[in-house]
Amino acid sequence: MTTEPLLSVENLHTTFTTDAGTLTAVDGISFEIEEGETMCLVGESGSGKTVASESITRLVQSPPGEVQGTVEFRGRDIGEMDDTELREIRGGDVAHIFQNPQDALNHCYTVGWQIVEAVQSHEPNTGREAARERAVELLTEVGIANAAARLDDYPHEFSGGQKQRVMIAMALVTNPELLIADEPTTALDVTVQAQILKLLDRLQDEYGMGILFVTHDLGVVAQIADSVVVMYAGKVMERGSVLDIFEQPSHPYTRALIECLPGGERSIDGIPGTLPDPVDPPEGCRFAPRCEHAVPECRTDDHPEESPVSGDHLAACIYYKPGYDATVIHGPETDAQANATGGVTND
Amino acid sequence: MGLEWYIARRVAWAFVVTFIIISVTWGLLAASPNPQVSNAVRSAAMNGDDPAEAREIQKKRLGLDEPLTKRYVDYMVSVYTLNWGWSQTRSQPVTEAVMNGLYYTVQYSIPWTILVILISPLIGIYSAANQYSWKDHAATGFAFFGYAIPNFFFGIILLLIFGLQLGWIPITYNTDVGVFSLANARQLAIPIFVLVTGSIGGTMRVARNESAEFINADFVKTALAKGVSPFRIYARHIMRPTMVPLSTTVVGQLLALFTGASLLVEVVFSIPGLGRLLFRSILAQDTSIVLGTSLFFVFIATIGNLIQDLVYTVLDPRISFSDR
Repeated sequence: MTTEPLLSVENLHTTFTTDAGTLTAVDGISFEIEEGETMCLVGESGSGKTVASESITRLVQSPPGEVQGTVEFRGRDIGEMDDTELREIRGGDVAHIFQNPQDALNHCYTVGWQIVEAVQSHEPNTGREAARERAVELLTEVGIANAAARLDDYPHEFSGGQKQRVMIAMALVTNPELLIADEPTTALDVTVQAQILKLLDRLQDEYGMGILFVTHDLGVVAQIADSVVVMYAGKVMERGSVLDIFEQPSHPYTRALIECLPGGERSIDGIPGTLPDPVDPPEGCRFAPRCEHAVPECRTDDHPEESPVSGDHLAACIYYKPGYDATVIHGPETDAQANATGGVTND
Repeated sequence: MGLEWYIARRVAWAFVVTFIIISVTWGLLAASPNPQVSNAVRSAAMNGDDPAEAREIQKKRLGLDEPLTKRYVDYMVSVYTLNWGWSQTRSQPVTEAVMNGLYYTVQYSIPWTILVILISPLIGIYSAANQYSWKDHAATGFAFFGYAIPNFFFGIILLLIFGLQLGWIPITYNTDVGVFSLANARQLAIPIFVLVTGSIGGTMRVARNESAEFINADFVKTALAKGVSPFRIYARHIMRPTMVPLSTTVVGQLLALFTGASLLVEVVFSIPGLGRLLFRSILAQDTSIVLGTSLFFVFIATIGNLIQDLVYTVLDPRISFSDR
């Protein structure tokens, strides 16, 4: 018997109507998350990863946004849900935490008020006192010292890391099965980042949550991911287990990203060029204009389909199609492994 | 140090502010020629009496021969003890005239204030929620119409339509009806409508622009992601931060109403309120009344700003009252 994935996203498209034309932020991506799994969605700023994560529970503002494709949570199609069901699943089974904890909490209300609101949105019968007690428990759980006394403090009286802890506590209110974390540590300094990652790791074990972790930071990916999906310009470039991605990065884009890590070949210069125009993307492979291995065939037709590198490890690159020699990209196997692991351990 | 200490200090400051304003007013008055003295001098000259002697007698009668310091202290004491002088044209104490006018002004300004505070955030947020749709344009068009058309002109037009043509409302204001009577509501409906449309434009646009900013705020996305209903998001998460800048505009509007807007509306609708009192006193050159009503506006402005500061700290907890 095959088990159903926790979340299954198929051919997700998210477009925005703008004055310049239709902007395609997410262009047909698919992925699955198993129960208790941590999947990292990786890509540089503007690659569409945040929009993809917000398309899952339809948080994208519509209009101008429009989400197409199938998103199934435990076999239930989120796209078919009415407003009431959507509200139940948002913050119920699927919780979110966001990039910038400074603005993610409403500055006009106390932290306790906002957690109580989250509780009562899903359990209208819970009284205020009971909800407050629950808030104290959760705040203690995420490591806010003296939680009972801090319940009536306002967000500006908390530090950035503490605010993110409050956000996490708020997300845990309903014991969610999936936590969508959109760059939750990007706005925090490195020591706080490590604490938050450790906290998420502990909570994942405790609550058995699946986590969709959106980040541009490959160092974080190496630390927490089970599987990885690499995105560029709204398309999936490469996917595989965390070992696949770091030991045998196969798409030129993934390789370039890894080389950008501190100590890597590109740690100073980065990847030359910029993201393509999302209103009018180039023909062929989205990464071709910036790719050093691109051949003329890369610039025609559609974006290449994902071809197997090995097992579940897929790369959307012409070199992995039959008839092309992939060693052009990663060189002799041993060499590639040495490069990749070297890059990671340095971080 | 808590809120009480902050309020106490703000009230003390408000007192200092009125003190400075009144002192400056007194300085200007003391430096300018007194019309009653010049009148006495002129009539003495025309009657063949000694103008210099008449000047001395009149000055003595008005207490202008006293030393400046004593005159200043006397003046300040009488201002703060509400002894604001005698109106020649109305033959009544200035405070009494002001209180009479205030009685009628309050009858329309309180409903006006309440309506503006209730309606303009609602229209503004409705407009922002439907940004750039026809609903937004309709609400904005309505707001700009009220903002653009002069109150007195709009008042005259409505008086022509509803008073003369349709006969639904009385043309002249009747002071004999009870404050809470239906007749009073009927005669004040149009003036209040004119004032509300006139001031809703500014506040509604502020509400729209501020809330449009908050609709895209991260904390609204958080609220959406935790399953809060759209109505509650607007009513709680967007309305509350919008009220902070809006309260400034509302106070500003209220002050403008007391001084400028209500004057012409009172004249058009013949309401014997503060505005018309000031208008007539200026025409009749009744200095003590003009001074008295101005003083009243000074107090209103100071109290308005005080209330605004206090409301601020309640609405936006990030504004600290203990550090200032």
